[in-house]
Amino acid sequence: MLGLLTKTLREIWLPTLLVASGLFGVNILLTVLIPKVQEGFEEVFDKLPFVESMLQALLGTELGDQMAAEAMQAVLWVHPIVLTLLWFHAISLSTRVPAGEIDRGTIDFLLGLPVGRRQLYWSEVLMWLATGLLLLAFGFAGHRLASPAMPEHMRPETHVALMMMTNLYCVYLAVGAVGFLVSSLASHRSRAIAVVFALVLGSFLLNFAAQLWEPAGRVAFLGILEYYRPAVVLQSGEFPTSDVAVLLTIACVSLAAGSEIMARRSICTV
Amino acid sequence: MSVIRTEKLTRRYGVRRGVDGIDLEVGPGETFGFLGPNGAGKTTTIRLLMGLLKPNSGRAEIVGLNCWRESARLKHAVGYLPGDLRLYPWLSLRSAVTIVSRIRQQHIQPRAAELADSFELEPNLPVRKMSRGTRQKLGLVLAMAHRPKLLILDEPTSGLDPLMQSVLADLVREAATAGQTIFFSSHTLSEVEALCDRVAIVRHGQLVVDEPLHALREQAPRTVELVYDSVEAASAVRLPEFLAMRQQSKSELQCELRGPTPPLLAWASQQPLVDIRISHPDLDAVFHSLYHNAETGG
Repeated sequence: MLGLLTKTLREIWLPTLLVASGLFGVNILLTVLIPKVQEGFEEVFDKLPFVESMLQALLGTELGDQMAAEAMQAVLWVHPIVLTLLWFHAISLSTRVPAGEIDRGTIDFLLGLPVGRRQLYWSEVLMWLATGLLLLAFGFAGHRLASPAMPEHMRPETHVALMMMTNLYCVYLAVGAVGFLVSSLASHRSRAIAVVFALVLGSFLLNFAAQLWEPAGRVAFLGILEYYRPAVVLQSGEFPTSDVAVLLTIACVSLAAGSEIMARRSICTV
Repeated sequence: MSVIRTEKLTRRYGVRRGVDGIDLEVGPGETFGFLGPNGAGKTTTIRLLMGLLKPNSGRAEIVGLNCWRESARLKHAVGYLPGDLRLYPWLSLRSAVTIVSRIRQQHIQPRAAELADSFELEPNLPVRKMSRGTRQKLGLVLAMAHRPKLLILDEPTSGLDPLMQSVLADLVREAATAGQTIFFSSHTLSEVEALCDRVAIVRHGQLVVDEPLHALREQAPRTVELVYDSVEAASAVRLPEFLAMRQQSKSELQCELRGPTPPLLAWASQQPLVDIRISHPDLDAVFHSLYHNAETGG
């Protein structure tokens, strides 16, 4: 497996470093800007009421009459740029094998070596899991570095921040695992990316629509973001066990199904 | 024990035919030529052997291991050069040898260096800067460096210049001498003829012949040119059954010899000839005739 990990690492270290640096920078900016933005929120909500709905959709909770400081801290963890960077990384890594390898014609060379298909699949999964942790660590480091710029009452406690990050990592796992499942069925990486992107976007929009339209609320449980509510975690201080369990179940089932499909399908360079 | 064995190996792509009922047996140390025109089923057969494709029916084994179920295990014994070789753009000879050594858990550096010398490969040149021929040479080094029991080469000379084709031919002979089995797929008769002990021809997914090369040579027609001492003598000749007239030009007859040469020599000694020329067996004609017969069901 060492050879496979070396090969994968050689291919993904640069994009991973770029995304990690991006998260680091974005989290510094958000940590500095959020307290300043919060001061003007009441005025913004009066003028543009949909902004409040948008924010509620992102945070997964009602904001109430007053924009709670805790809820505002959570913006850092649900900001579209943060989610986009994480999902981009999850989708791009999870569609490398087998779809990416088939697409670029390198699968014949790779499977010409004494490499089991499951071994190949799980070595990619391992790198994806590890780099996901690295991304969150960079994001967290950026936030911590800039947190002196935040008023003290707005800074989350470390254990609460870790709970939110665990929840966010589980979202990353669910998205990536679905990516691996779709990739195991595909022979073109672009198609696999398009399918996963459509699912994630659909999930995001469903979560947003559920705040504004009741029928959408009835099927909101189908969206991944339904299981990611950092504002609730911040307010309650409790670990989101059920949300994490759902996300982990999605991840485990998708990964296992992807592994079996990859092991059993014919692979033919197109 | 056979190194390669297939029984009624069949693979279809939807309604398209891949291969249909292929029976092959290749023994240890054999250099086996697998010939056929483009789209005949050569690469499909190789992909079935390599466990990339699952057969619809039939079975394939390499060194006694099932090609589909035990694919990863059997590849310790196999070196494989794909037909349309694609490699990672960042890969160089050096990084490739490191990665392949780790995957194979085998120290392949010394042999890889020898092969790279033979092919005049630069160790640090990345694939993205390589010509097609250079990529092919890198693929060959990676396929051969661990001295596999079985070397599967799918159209290995494509992209190689004549000099490198000759280097490859020498390396294949060297491997065969060392007891390695070689499965050599090609659509070019001459390279198979120069290297292989046995030849199978595949057409439309089916084997149309599987014979030792010497047996095919015996079947191959030869051109015989008979030069008589006069036009009258040439016109009056009655050809024996084993000679078929192709054309006459003044005192010279061009015939096709069917069968061995001793009867021809015995007959020729009775003729008023001033010269006789016998060509090499024309394997091309055999292959063309086999392709044609297979197509017409003859």
